[in-house]
Amino acid sequence: MTDAERTAVEFTFAGAPVRAWSGDTVAMALWAAGHLALRRSSRDGAARGVFCSMGVCYDCLVRVDGETLRACTTLVRAGMLVEPGGKP
Amino acid sequence: MNAAADPGAGRVLDADVGVVGAGPAGLAAAGSLARAGLSVVVLDEGQRAGGQIFRQPSPRVAGCGAAPPSHRRGRGLLAAFAQSGARLCSGVTVWDARPGRLWFEQAAESWLVRCERVLLAPGAYDRSIPFPGWTLPGVVTAGALQIMGRAGVVPGKRALVAGSGPLLLPTVAALLGAGVQVVAALEASPRSSAWRALPGLLGHGGRRAEAFWYLRKLLGARVRLRSGWTLFGCEGEDRVQRALIGKVDAEGRPRRDTARSIEVDVVGAGFGLVPSIELGLLLGCRSRCDPRRGGHCLDVDGEQRTSVPTVFAAGEVCGIGGAEVAIAEGELAAAAIVKDLRGVPVPPALAVAAARERRAADRLLGCFPPLPGLCDLATADTIVCRCEDVRLEQTRAAAALHGRSLRAIKVGCRAGMGPCQGRICGPSLQALANGLPGQPADLPVVQVPVKPVRVQTVLDAPRG
Amino acid sequence: MAAPMVETADLVVAGGGIVGCAVVHHLAQLLPPQTRIVLLDRGPIAGATSGSCMGHLMVTPDTPQEYAFTATSLALWRELQQQEGGFDYQPTGALYLADAPEDVELLPVLQRQFRDNGDRADILDPAQLRELEPGLAPDLPGALFYPGDGVVLPMAACASMLRHAQRTNPNVQVRPDCAVTGFATDGDRLTGVRTAQGPIATGSVVNTAGVWAPELTAMLRQPPLPIHPRAGNLVVTGHHSTPIKTQLLEVSYLRFAHGAAQVDPTRTTGDPGGHAVNMQPQTHGGCLIGSTRQFRGLDRTLNRDLVLRSLARACRYAPGLRHAPIVRTWVGLRPYSVDKHPLIGPWPPVRGLWIAAGHEGLGISLAPVTGRLIAQQIAGVPTAVDATPYLPARFLR
Repeated sequence: MTDAERTAVEFTFAGAPVRAWSGDTVAMALWAAGHLALRRSSRDGAARGVFCSMGVCYDCLVRVDGETLRACTTLVRAGMLVEPGGKP
Repeated sequence: MNAAADPGAGRVLDADVGVVGAGPAGLAAAGSLARAGLSVVVLDEGQRAGGQIFRQPSPRVAGCGAAPPSHRRGRGLLAAFAQSGARLCSGVTVWDARPGRLWFEQAAESWLVRCERVLLAPGAYDRSIPFPGWTLPGVVTAGALQIMGRAGVVPGKRALVAGSGPLLLPTVAALLGAGVQVVAALEASPRSSAWRALPGLLGHGGRRAEAFWYLRKLLGARVRLRSGWTLFGCEGEDRVQRALIGKVDAEGRPRRDTARSIEVDVVGAGFGLVPSIELGLLLGCRSRCDPRRGGHCLDVDGEQRTSVPTVFAAGEVCGIGGAEVAIAEGELAAAAIVKDLRGVPVPPALAVAAARERRAADRLLGCFPPLPGLCDLATADTIVCRCEDVRLEQTRAAAALHGRSLRAIKVGCRAGMGPCQGRICGPSLQALANGLPGQPADLPVVQVPVKPVRVQTVLDAPRG
Repeated sequence: MAAPMVETADLVVAGGGIVGCAVVHHLAQLLPPQTRIVLLDRGPIAGATSGSCMGHLMVTPDTPQEYAFTATSLALWRELQQQEGGFDYQPTGALYLADAPEDVELLPVLQRQFRDNGDRADILDPAQLRELEPGLAPDLPGALFYPGDGVVLPMAACASMLRHAQRTNPNVQVRPDCAVTGFATDGDRLTGVRTAQGPIATGSVVNTAGVWAPELTAMLRQPPLPIHPRAGNLVVTGHHSTPIKTQLLEVSYLRFAHGAAQVDPTRTTGDPGGHAVNMQPQTHGGCLIGSTRQFRGLDRTLNRDLVLRSLARACRYAPGLRHAPIVRTWVGLRPYSVDKHPLIGPWPPVRGLWIAAGHEGLGISLAPVTGRLIAQQIAGVPTAVDATPYLPARFLR
């Protein structure tokens, strides 16, 4: 995608609208919107978010339209429903 | 997975060569291979080709002139690759392999590449060293902060960069390009490391230009790279708000008396890189441990061939060395594959160039040896394995009872059993759990899938 | 010149899997606290079979003897949970699922077996089944729910047993990465063990080496123990991905897992292998999926074909599993005993040698009762269950 082809898209995270650019990863879009905490950790319940941003650490797991995915390797799509990862 | 009677619902791609990774090594190799008339499929985990080093700035930061000189070379490689006819599959997860076969998942679909030769150019990932508060949102690897900086999405105004090695500079530059204030840039290695690295930097055309570009950036923003300093810990409520920084001794041990607290919005920490050898291990490739090159790396011959005759490797996976090494080794690997499949001899100049770049990189990285004392940053209740929330004291108890090997510590406390499969904690787990700073890690045991994929992807995998 | 100091021990337990740990745990409880007990393993504690298996605590009701043996062991598991805990114990019960019509006919048969032993199990119709487990396929014809089964994390259980043993008896030593390299004997009497970390003078050794138990007795030039590795491939999914909360088994699992092998277990090729679904929810929300069985020696490479077939069956029962990410796969080796019963007791040709091995897929379930049985025999006190069916001497006749 060239920069000229990038368009504004909107999706929701935890029910709140997030505006982003097509071509952004979900992680980028959420950071830009100030959402750093993306889930609660499985055992101690502490807030977690993006760590490696290149698909290695699996710390940024979120639920995208029901599927558990890495926010840092998933591109934004208009209208997608993103929920925090962790315990449903 | 390949042996059941059911052929699998996924799709098959046939090619002469399957390349894993579209960073400098993969792009250089794929372009050369395609220009030599071979059909090439490139599998890349990223959403845009270029890997981590040639990641292009986003329109959010366009106009800031944020790209260093090496990106011109990157753009050249990308353009040549785009015209070469090689097929690029972006956003994929390669999860199983055997010689001549690569299975991958892309957008919840299952694929198989059947090829004559495999070239592994998966690059590397940040080496992390646990410190108190490193799991707080907003605390990320240096690589991640660089990515977010280039994308222009860093929230807040105050960033801190800490770690060790030449890669801190691009992170600082990316932040500055995005208009973020870098409140501190901390290099844990002593100042003597930077001085020792100077001849290597100045004596290499590409690196000299790059270094000057970064230094100008830092000077322009009045950011000073402080040697012998590091990050002791982070604090905050559901996100990082404060960082504790201080001096370290020549081995990296924190000098607690020098600690002071500063307000921050984001933190990037990276202590070098770790070669991404997992797929190579799954394919049965021999590895060797070279601490200067980031630990375990794939072993290759003078033409980038691994111990598995049809599998080649180039770039960081053969040991950390940077983009120049990766490009030279990618071109050499491509020539060796063309020799295999078309009988065209390898131009001797390619092998000479790759060896020269590798020697130069070894000299440069040799100036930043691992700092075993950084193991002292973690306290008893610091999380070591982020996936399973395993704390340092639990890893110590596991090592004391179950044994000192990587396997023993894993079964004793579940460290390394989560979705990252031990990539993040593994390199420092044994040293931390055994209280033996500097202890090299055992070679990890790799199983299918080399990265998590959905059950359906495995069921759909084309056999064969 | 003084003779070099040789370490001495009252008992050496060779093999640090769940059986070795349970043996140490019960020896520590039964023998006086000054008794010196050394647990050895050539690798990590819980690093082999016990670190690569499922954690099913299973009551098998096939015969009164089997029922008493497994039910006694599960009571000891609950006792360990009270005493020590720390091993992700989940009293989930077990759902025996039917698929084909002939499976449905098996449910009352299995129910009667539980009832004949004075226990209970409930047959669920499709509506009751869906209420209990909404994640199951809607077209399943029914199931049997047995409330007595459970799930544990075996490697954590090994650690719990050893922690408790060391608190009860401070003379319990645990030594990973310490292989047995040979034995010392005086006539037919065992006098010591040679190890990678030096010799230990001892009159009693318990061979708890599981799949490798025959290797140890071979060092004493004994006839081969009839224990053979039977490989199982396992899959685990990511946190919070399990579609089920109860442990699931295909009802045909019982026939599959506890029937006699149809192939020669000593051969390393030629067994096509088989599979039956066994799924366990884990405390972090992952799902452990087994189980496959195949004789092929000590080979621990994944059998992708068997994994695929067992995954497909698992998705038949719990379709939501299709979306779960697979985090890891691996292979464990079960110590299969040719007559389907473990070997627990003395080995008469060598005085001082004891064996506790050969539990195949029931090692986790049966470890506590095995530990207690051996400890009671060594201590010379009456045994809690009849030891006769498990005496290794049956293979000397």
